[in-house]
Amino acid sequence: MRIAKKDKRDQSSTSPCAHLRAAYHNCFNRWYSEKFVKGQWGKEECVSEWQKYRACLSEHLDDKHLSRFLEAEIVPSDLGKPVDGVSQ
Amino acid sequence: MVKAYGQEHVYKHPWERVTSASWRKFSDPENKRTLSHIVEVDTLNHKLDPESGKLYTTRAITVHAPGPWFVRKIIGQDICHCVESTVVDARTKSMQLNTRNISLQKFLEVEEKIRYDPHPDNPNEWTVCRQETSIRIKPLSALASMAEKVEQKCAEKFMQNSAKGREVMERMCKYLEAESRGIAM
Repeated sequence: MRIAKKDKRDQSSTSPCAHLRAAYHNCFNRWYSEKFVKGQWGKEECVSEWQKYRACLSEHLDDKHLSRFLEAEIVPSDLGKPVDGVSQ
Repeated sequence: MVKAYGQEHVYKHPWERVTSASWRKFSDPENKRTLSHIVEVDTLNHKLDPESGKLYTTRAITVHAPGPWFVRKIIGQDICHCVESTVVDARTKSMQLNTRNISLQKFLEVEEKIRYDPHPDNPNEWTVCRQETSIRIKPLSALASMAEKVEQKCAEKFMQNSAKGREVMERMCKYLEAESRGIAM
């Protein structure tokens, strides 16, 4: 049964979100290099791209450990102890 | 037992470009061949603090074939989920990434810390990357009896992968440099 044997290497639970993921990451990457690092960090962008991508993730992400992070609010102190010198 | 090692690398590119490259490193199709151990990267969460200029991001990184083949044989799976937490401080120019595995935790714990800062000798043109990785085999796991060998093999594998990572980063930086020149012209 050749058909049943899928190549798992290129498959993951979030593959159905690939297009939305690419759209969000493209938008994010542009915002990061053209605005954020140049001092224009006052306004969040790519909001609609993120909402669509996130909705897809919450539907398809089947790993419980990972989906926990989707819902959780990011708490800076969770990020571990910073390597010397950077204040929180 | 914990095996830890550190590495340092200087990129002859400004911090803004190097950190941009870091975000793109896994997603660019050109890099997928080099970084074939990365299966998938998803952004799970992000938060921008518009007051301080800090950006917090959590990503899921799915890695294929963690460690050597005999480890895969014992643990019976060849996919490992990791969570990467990143803080970028645009004001002070620092980027810190912290990655750890969330699957296979009963066997081993791997933690990788990466930091990108402007190079003190040439802060506007160069960036220094400091990387610290620690590998710990859980004492009572099926891997414990051969912990030393496993840690050694894992360390070798990580070294190979981080060399590939640097190669990809250098390529991305060149690409971004060319792109910015293109826009400027």
